[in-house]
Amino acid sequence: MKRVPISRLATLALRQLLRDARSGELRVLFFALLIAVAASTAIGYFGARLNDAMLLRATEFLGADLVVRGSAPAAPEQIEAGSRLQLDHARVVEFSSVIATDDNLQLASVKAADSHYPLRGELRSAAAPYQPEQASQGPQPGEAWAEARLFAALNLQVGDLIEVGNKQLQLTRVLTYEPDRVGDFYSLTPRVLMHIDDLQATGVVQPGSRVSYRELWRGPASQLQAYQQAIQADLQPHQRIETAKDGNRQIGGALGRAERYLNLASLAAVLLAGVAVALSASRFASRRFDASALLRCLGLSRREALLLYTLQLAYLGALASIVGALLGWAAQHGLFFLLRDLVVSEIPTATLWPALAGIATGLVALAGFALPPLAALGRVPPLRVLRRDMLPVPPSTWLVYGAAIVALGLIMWRLSLDLKITLALLGGGLLATLVLGGLLLLTLQGLRRTLSGASLPWRLGLGQLLRHPLAAAGQSLAFGLILLAMALIALLRGELLDTWQEQLPEDTPNHFVLNVLPADSAAFGERIAALSDHSAPLYPVVPGRLVAINGEPVRQVVSKESQGERAIRRDLSLTWASELPADNRLTAGRWWNDEPGELPGVSVEAELAESLTVKLGDRLSFTVGGITRDVSVTSLREVNWDSFQPNFYMIFEPHTLQDVPATYMTSFHLPPGKDRELVQLARDFPSATILQVEALLGQLRSILAQVSLAVEYVLMFVLAAGLAVLFAGLQATLDERIRQGALLRALGAERKLLLKARRAEFGVLGAASGLLAALGCELVSALLYHFVFDLRWQPHPWLLVLPLIGALLVGGAGVIGTRRALNASPLSVLRED
Amino acid sequence: MSDSILNARNLSKVVPSAEGELAILEEVSLSLDKGDSLAIIGTSGSGKSTLLGLLAGLDLPSSGEVTLAGHRLGELDEDQRARVRAEHVGFVFQSFQLLDSLNALENVMLPLELHGRRDAQTKASELLERVGLGARLHHYPRQLSGGEQQRVAVARAFAAEPEVLFADEPTGNLDSHTGANITELLFELNRERATTLVLVTHDERLAQRCQHLLRLEGGRRVDDEQSR
Repeated sequence: MKRVPISRLATLALRQLLRDARSGELRVLFFALLIAVAASTAIGYFGARLNDAMLLRATEFLGADLVVRGSAPAAPEQIEAGSRLQLDHARVVEFSSVIATDDNLQLASVKAADSHYPLRGELRSAAAPYQPEQASQGPQPGEAWAEARLFAALNLQVGDLIEVGNKQLQLTRVLTYEPDRVGDFYSLTPRVLMHIDDLQATGVVQPGSRVSYRELWRGPASQLQAYQQAIQADLQPHQRIETAKDGNRQIGGALGRAERYLNLASLAAVLLAGVAVALSASRFASRRFDASALLRCLGLSRREALLLYTLQLAYLGALASIVGALLGWAAQHGLFFLLRDLVVSEIPTATLWPALAGIATGLVALAGFALPPLAALGRVPPLRVLRRDMLPVPPSTWLVYGAAIVALGLIMWRLSLDLKITLALLGGGLLATLVLGGLLLLTLQGLRRTLSGASLPWRLGLGQLLRHPLAAAGQSLAFGLILLAMALIALLRGELLDTWQEQLPEDTPNHFVLNVLPADSAAFGERIAALSDHSAPLYPVVPGRLVAINGEPVRQVVSKESQGERAIRRDLSLTWASELPADNRLTAGRWWNDEPGELPGVSVEAELAESLTVKLGDRLSFTVGGITRDVSVTSLREVNWDSFQPNFYMIFEPHTLQDVPATYMTSFHLPPGKDRELVQLARDFPSATILQVEALLGQLRSILAQVSLAVEYVLMFVLAAGLAVLFAGLQATLDERIRQGALLRALGAERKLLLKARRAEFGVLGAASGLLAALGCELVSALLYHFVFDLRWQPHPWLLVLPLIGALLVGGAGVIGTRRALNASPLSVLRED
Repeated sequence: MSDSILNARNLSKVVPSAEGELAILEEVSLSLDKGDSLAIIGTSGSGKSTLLGLLAGLDLPSSGEVTLAGHRLGELDEDQRARVRAEHVGFVFQSFQLLDSLNALENVMLPLELHGRRDAQTKASELLERVGLGARLHHYPRQLSGGEQQRVAVARAFAAEPEVLFADEPTGNLDSHTGANITELLFELNRERATTLVLVTHDERLAQRCQHLLRLEGGRRVDDEQSR
């Protein structure tokens, strides 16, 4: 027989599709696809753009979007490359220098910046020490700003002259806040800010002197990425690229988690979409069962029939996905519009990816779940198909399902760029599906035997489920996955908000104190205890440098540009303590015991230990006060760097460093309105340096508040999408129920009976789904906490309300959704032949 | 009129269509006494099934009135009509219309249970025995042949001892041999139980076995109330 040309098949497919559309046949699949794609696109966009907006806020802490840091000036080509991409540029040079006045000297860390600095965030300064601060441009040429502690140390007034190298500068303001100082805000030397045009004249910067050059860049994300790629290859060994993400610890942790949360939410949306489409697609396929058999009777080959339906699905999928993606795109714009007063004003536009992922999800799920049943048609003679016998699923279709799931996994991976999240969510979901699905199937089969004793509504309701246990288990799993996605996002929201709240409680220390003399330490401790409701202990601080590990010079042990390398390049603040600091947690070894070892002990921060490849029992050599001292590593500690407490890489056993002159440091929370007491404190202890970090705390808090808000909105969005998808999915399962309803009404059943049966059926379906969701949610959350969020996992007993929620939601949605079945004219049984 | 179990007066049904209103049934009247049998015959689209639906209270007429077992159906809401059906009416459909999720026994028990009968199971088994399916009580519809399915449907129709039995092309989906068996069964039971039978068919031979004949053409009654 002659083959039907593909163009005719394409036309035929379109014509049939239009007919089906007119008869309302495609409504369920079309809307399920539309909602699924719209939801996943909207959440994808919302999450991605919010994340970009958060990162933008975080760039303040870098003073720019991207920084190239090096110990020598950047090459002219590197600057050129940035200018070509029309990025904004600022240059900062930092170095240590002794600041001289007529009768005094003080080591300071000097920053020379051009007039464009900072590119993100703002400089703040005050007219006099401890006066109210204002935002403004930095010092002009010939001027300098300095921190209050330099004024104290050198007994200076605003208007005085200082010497930086060979250049005299006039102090015009007191520097109170630099956006990019966050990383080392308790560095030991006070800051002086000057204009870069005066740098040459100081003569301080000579070849070989220790200087840090920072090229600051600002611009759109795509341009920045292009720039990063352009210079990456020719980056000098001394150069390093920094972006907001690796900016500072306090914000990095919160942002990282928020980003992963938003990521996860968009993946959950993809999962939701996949489930909804899968449900509707298999309905579409089973409704085509007879029609396809007929077409084969009319002479279409198996291949041609399959092609015809594939084309139909392609048309439908393309239309619904594109419209859905546009709707989703519009929805997230609407959401940002609603949030315009709460979220940062500047929201970056996102890439095409969320839309593409949404469309691809829809199409993959459609093909993956609609084609196998259709393909199965080809295996039997048309005559047999006419008998309406459903066929067992052949092994090859499992391959198609498998391929669809793998494709979904790839989409999720590309969308999140995070393999761990993808694997945890998809793998956990699959595992839960297999295990729980099997259990469910067994339970259903067991229930069938006990059902004969039940009352009529229960038998009518559950009979449908139990007659087709595989279909019932499938539906239950599908609704279970929807509930799981919703519960998971709700669960993580709570945990993240709690984590952030704990990170910066109301009484977080907002002042750091350095250089308290040993003679003053007791008196100072009493004063801040009276002044503050929350203060850290006073820690002795001794500067020292790590020089050898197990006798080997440390420079040979550590790799370039690692955390370890940065730690050994400078003096570390060494301390000793008899008690483990409150925020620290031992990860290996033991805290001091009374038995003296061969060498005194030291406790090392765990990440640094890893970077230096230091293990328990290793011998570390430090130069402290000109003398080399050996200690043995007795424990490793996790340190909470977000806590605004004094934190130390190295804590020595008490009494080991007591022969070295030490100063003390601490931090405390000063309640608002006690500024006068603070000035008094500074006067009474002139040697002590008091750093105010209230501004920084405020910044952090406002970012966390925005991130929290974003998380809340994403949660609501996911819940709304989940409900929509639940409804769409339910619609796909209604055919048989509508027929049953009409027949029962013809036989004289009242609405009440039908309602009861429906409630029993959907209630049980929902409760089973809820139970699956609860178990699956625990499994997936345990995986996520462990591998992705770095949170400690505990069981969540409240998840056990999910079966109830599931019964109410699915039961409610089912009863509302099957209203059509209740109201179906009993006459329809006469018509359906 | 007092003996009349089913009475229809001037039934019309008009439905909207693309070309304006379409009358699918016009001014049809009939009256049946207990134990009567009536065949409604006509070509496809003549309004047979519509008339059956109206007589059974599955649908309401645009004008006219149906009285079934003393109830004026037009005055009842859907639930009340359902109750009338449950109490007085049995159905046999062309496509059997068994519930796939119930086995043969449970399908036959269904109308009895809707009635709240405690002896539903015994009664249903007896009836299935009577239609020759005593060995198939626990088979599901998919496991039965077309003829067997229709036997279950017949058993179900008689289960609640209805006063009126409506049969819509009961042999339409069956081969002639099986169809004849089903016909035989229907009339036997009809005689045994003194049920009023309303039969929609386009099979003239089947129609000849009924006491009354109502011929429809284009929604109008074209016979003249002939009785046999």
